[in-house]
Amino acid sequence: MTRDEFERHSLRFGAAVETWPAPFRQQALALLAAERKDDPDAALDRLVLEAALTDGDDQALARKVLARIEAGSARPSLLPRLLFSPAGFAACVAAVLVAATLAGYQVARLQDDPSDTELLALASGSSLADGGIAADAEGEGSL
Amino acid sequence: MQHDEPRGDDELLARIAGGNQSALSELIARHGRGLRMFAARYLGNAGDAEDVVQEVFVTVWKQAARFDPAKGRASTWLYRITANRCIDQRRRRALRSFIGLDDIRDEVAAPEADAEATTAARQELAIVRDGLSRLPERQRMAVLLRAVGDLDIAAIAEVMGGSIGSAEQLLVRGRRALRDHLAMAAVSRERESS
Repeated sequence: MTRDEFERHSLRFGAAVETWPAPFRQQALALLAAERKDDPDAALDRLVLEAALTDGDDQALARKVLARIEAGSARPSLLPRLLFSPAGFAACVAAVLVAATLAGYQVARLQDDPSDTELLALASGSSLADGGIAADAEGEGSL
Repeated sequence: MQHDEPRGDDELLARIAGGNQSALSELIARHGRGLRMFAARYLGNAGDAEDVVQEVFVTVWKQAARFDPAKGRASTWLYRITANRCIDQRRRRALRSFIGLDDIRDEVAAPEADAEATTAARQELAIVRDGLSRLPERQRMAVLLRAVGDLDIAAIAEVMGGSIGSAEQLLVRGRRALRDHLAMAAVSRERESS
């Protein structure tokens, strides 16, 4: 923080540097302590603070936040982006194929599996009629 | 170092709870920069940090009425929300990377050139950034909460959901690791120059 910036922030936040919000407060205190011998932890903190500086526009941030509030969503869902990405689309297609395969297998098994009645008839040596075991000689056809 | 919390933050949150959007804009002007710096250096990605900070202020808008000034400082509350969102974001990023949707890369814009007057200063700050990115996540969070958020040990413990002792240990270890990293980089530079 330069002296000009310090003066500008003084008008914005007030004369008491201790009441300024972070990170302006630390930068102001660092400026004031620049020529003062300080403890090593504080010096390292100042170095980390300086290293962490990034560009950013607070007004643009406020606009985006307000737009999000207006839109009524705190967080964009992962799902739409997932579906529109190539990998996400491929994953969805794979999931559909797997589901279709499993469904087909289940249907085929239902059609191919001999029923209990058929197995019973086979075991007893009877022939099948519609709806169950054909009438056999007395005493036969049932276990 | 404990600072008196400006009463302005509490008042702003009370106004936000009442649905005042200009109060939210003012809160963003006061804390948006610090939260963005914290999130960007913790996540190592400016885009993710921007998204996280937007989420934080949307959450503040929705939950401002739940903030109780008697229980803690507004800045601690804001950094706690941000820290939780950052952890969520890292998990989402890790999941997306696992299923092949994303690469994990450190992408934080370089600071303004006039903030780093000399080449030596630029190198030192680059080494600090590299050292920060190599710290274990919880140590990095503690160091950033102290340096960027200007939180004291008790507030760091509150934000991170641990004891004061564990927060202090994280901070001590993080600072020590950073100093070691800086010292090793200095030795390497000396060897290269000689």
